[in-house]
Amino acid sequence: MKLLHFYYDIMNLYGEYANLLALGRILQKSGIEYTVDKRSFSDEVNLEEYDFIYIGSGTERNRNAVMADMQRYKEALRTFITNDRPILMTGNSFEMLGQSVTDALGSQHEGLGLFHFTVKEQNKVRTTADTIVTADFCDKPLVGFVNKCSQIEGITSPLFDVKMGLGNQENDTKEGFRTHNLFGTHLTGPILIKNPHFLIYLAQLLVGQDKTLCTDYLTYETAAYEVTLSELSTGSRE
Amino acid sequence: MKRFFTILICKILRWVGKLVGKGSSLPGKAALKLCPDILSRVKLPPYIIAVTGSNGKTSTVEMIAHLLTKNGKNVAWNKEGSNQIEGVTTLVLSNSTLGGKVKSDILLIESDERFARYTFRYIKPTHYVITNLYRDQLTRNGHPEWVYDALADSIHDGMQLILNADDPLVSHFGYGKKDVLWFGANELPTDTDRNTSVYNDGAYCPHCKQPMTYSTRHYNHIGHYQCTSCGYHRRDTDYTITSVDLDKGEMVIDGKNKITLALRSLYNMYNLLAAYTVGSVVGLDGQKIAEDLSDYVMKNGRVVSFSIGKREGTLLVSKHENSISYDQSMRIAAADKRGCDVMIIVDAISRKYFTGDVSWLWDIDFEMLQNENVHEIILAGTYCNDLAVRFSYTDIPEERIKIFKSIEDAYHYLDSDRSEYIYTITCFSDKGKFLSLL
Repeated sequence: MKLLHFYYDIMNLYGEYANLLALGRILQKSGIEYTVDKRSFSDEVNLEEYDFIYIGSGTERNRNAVMADMQRYKEALRTFITNDRPILMTGNSFEMLGQSVTDALGSQHEGLGLFHFTVKEQNKVRTTADTIVTADFCDKPLVGFVNKCSQIEGITSPLFDVKMGLGNQENDTKEGFRTHNLFGTHLTGPILIKNPHFLIYLAQLLVGQDKTLCTDYLTYETAAYEVTLSELSTGSRE
Repeated sequence: MKRFFTILICKILRWVGKLVGKGSSLPGKAALKLCPDILSRVKLPPYIIAVTGSNGKTSTVEMIAHLLTKNGKNVAWNKEGSNQIEGVTTLVLSNSTLGGKVKSDILLIESDERFARYTFRYIKPTHYVITNLYRDQLTRNGHPEWVYDALADSIHDGMQLILNADDPLVSHFGYGKKDVLWFGANELPTDTDRNTSVYNDGAYCPHCKQPMTYSTRHYNHIGHYQCTSCGYHRRDTDYTITSVDLDKGEMVIDGKNKITLALRSLYNMYNLLAAYTVGSVVGLDGQKIAEDLSDYVMKNGRVVSFSIGKREGTLLVSKHENSISYDQSMRIAAADKRGCDVMIIVDAISRKYFTGDVSWLWDIDFEMLQNENVHEIILAGTYCNDLAVRFSYTDIPEERIKIFKSIEDAYHYLDSDRSEYIYTITCFSDKGKFLSLL
């Protein structure tokens, strides 16, 4: 199993490298051999070699630099997605897949153009929130934190329903972007650590439904999830 | 007349507030409501020294105040660390005459990074010290570049910038500017030639986003950097830590002025260096500054000695949501050759706002506790499970880690016959919960 941590050294703003650690551990515990390749600007990557791609969040300027660099992978990425291979993009990274990003100064940056949505940023108020979302493919809600300055317009296939926190646009109850096995969400940080059920779901997708995963080691992860879910449900109301 | 009444009311509220032990931001808040531009209606002293940055500003300001006061200057400063515009307003008005003249020779302001652009619209510092920009409280600050942009709005022409040359993002405030004073450290014995932190915020140039290289790293992204593409590089310094002996607890500034250290951390040394720089700028003699800063013990309650039964320990107040602060505290514990146990408490992430986000735990280099000096590790508080998960991804053996949801249970556990020194590492939001048990 080959996992790609793409732009690992610049799109890693909120401890997101740990998503790869979480995936690596569940594969290892389940007796599945894997490698994690860390690649960035100076590398020439053949996406076809990989079973999974992960990209985390970056500062707005860093994300724009990555978006410009990624133009060379546009077609390979399209193929990867349409072949149903799993991709996870957290924070502002999935915004790159749209038509464009208009920054706070009004400059428009060309997106990868794989999907129809557009992104608009501002630089005065950061929109941040502890967030609880649900998805039809997970029996329990997911917890996390959204930390952004953008509104996304034109997403027709969102990933999550927002129970608490922020959606793609102001007052939007839908969050993220989903197509094939591409999961794009504005939840930041190690969401696969914080949400062990989502980790299991994603790992199962990676290894195939007929393979049994080892999940009994996730005791502290599960306890941490339960505490956070309860803290978010009560703490935020105080 | 409006000015007179506003100042009067602020002074009365401050006086009442002190009697009942209330914080120092309310009087300023009331004053700003009565007269929104009150800060531009007062006559300010010739020196207005502002200090901002992610870490170390409270300590640096305290050291500067100590130094200047000791040398006969009349200094007004925000002792309680109320560093947003309301607190600064209280500071200014309670130190001014009813006629609106600030009575001190020097106004010394600690300013919150995000609010500096509002505060300094009215009060323009003559000297502006920026210590560092780290990943700090990202749930409300966004990220360091976001804070950079907010701070950039607070810088105006005519301010003397005093910048940490070793921080590439901070140094960028001085890009293309003349008349900047730079402070920093020469290569130190504890330096590394590569990044040893969990993440690398010095990987790319803040100016052109091309790769940067370091000839030496003090810690994290702090060191001697140069861009491989646009030529952006660490500047030569005007005030310099030229040598450090951590075993003896000494540092030397500019090759001649020795300061003995009450707290042996590089972190503390940068605060001392910033204070030294400000002292020099206002005309104090370097040797005298070094004497006055030697063995200076902070009074802001960030380092507290304690005992539990027969055991001795130190509370190192660190900042939740700030990995560099944690790294620095752990570095102190890991360097203690007597052998120690380390307790980490994460119970409430912030005292000012609610968040349940623990992503920042993954930016902390907990691996450094895998060290012969560190024996047991005690994890406590609401988020002890998250800490346990984080530690499960280090090489530290599980049997050395004890986990307690209740801080009180953890405290009773520590009250044992073990002889190890204890380091308790936690935040303002949680320190009281521990100290109240003593």
